[in-house]
Amino acid sequence: MIIPVRCFSCGRVIASDYGRYIKRVNEIKAEGREPSPEEIEKIFDDLGIERYCCRRMIVSHVDLINEIMPFS
Amino acid sequence: MEVKIFKLSDKYIRFEIDGITPSQANALRRTLINDIPKLAIENVTFHHGEIRDSEGNVYDSSLPLFDEMVAHRLGLIPLKTDLSMNFRDQCSCGGKGCSLCTVTYSINKLGPSTVLSSDLQAVSHPDLVPVDGEIPIVKLGAKQAILITAEAILGTAKEHAKWQVTSGVSYKYHREFHVSKKDFEDWQKLKEACPKSVMGETETEIVFTDDFGCNDLNVLFESDGVNIVEDDSRFIFQFETDGSLTAKETLLYALNRLKDRWDMLVESLSE
Repeated sequence: MIIPVRCFSCGRVIASDYGRYIKRVNEIKAEGREPSPEEIEKIFDDLGIERYCCRRMIVSHVDLINEIMPFS
Repeated sequence: MEVKIFKLSDKYIRFEIDGITPSQANALRRTLINDIPKLAIENVTFHHGEIRDSEGNVYDSSLPLFDEMVAHRLGLIPLKTDLSMNFRDQCSCGGKGCSLCTVTYSINKLGPSTVLSSDLQAVSHPDLVPVDGEIPIVKLGAKQAILITAEAILGTAKEHAKWQVTSGVSYKYHREFHVSKKDFEDWQKLKEACPKSVMGETETEIVFTDDFGCNDLNVLFESDGVNIVEDDSRFIFQFETDGSLTAKETLLYALNRLKDRWDMLVESLSE
């Protein structure tokens, strides 16, 4: 659906970092390749997302809000 | 008792307390997690029906998400907090809600757009705005609009996680790795990777500490020739806040709060 506001486990605000993460990933994808695990790790370090509970919130998120918009 | 601050920024602190017991450290940790008050949105009123803009165009108030979900997301947004405000149930207004215990907000936005936390306008207290303006709340399609008012009150995380100021509150013992240079050959590499973590060095031995958080030291836990010594009276604490209070304010409040709670116990016993 839409990115959760906070991490389910620790309560850190992650919703605002999701947009920044997607922007950085798209910059790499624009070069015509998928980001490597090391590059994704670097993005998280730069954003200050340290714990793996917060990282999984972003890495495993599927943004479906645009798919359900026509049915509201 | 000695306190040393290793790292301090607005939202993050890492510090050491020397000379306390594990139970005192845990009391501080639990206070930091669930006994710090902050502002969070508690009541949300949705306008249902037609919404018109200044040119008379008609918008629909239905949203892609359920109203409950939007209200929940609004509650989780961190708001700048003024600790001189009252809890609503202890306020002089008797719990009805006044400017001493309640902050009102409103959102009025037309689609198609994404409603962000920066669209939340503080009505009664203009300085108590959302800390982070880029949190998406809901997306609006064409001909959709949102018109709501909301009330924020003080609370603590004992009641609901939306009033939780800190995240990742943890402590560990001060730890020393006594590494034998003969049995652990890679010690030079570690010394270069974590120069800050070296505590001392002799001809046969080098001592590291993980107080400053150098991940390269993790190999020492499962290597031969390493003697690990922990000190159960020196605690390395760290936590981060969501921005509603600074890390310093949070820590000072927690320490005072612990003292107040013991004072309350003493008072009730002496009566």
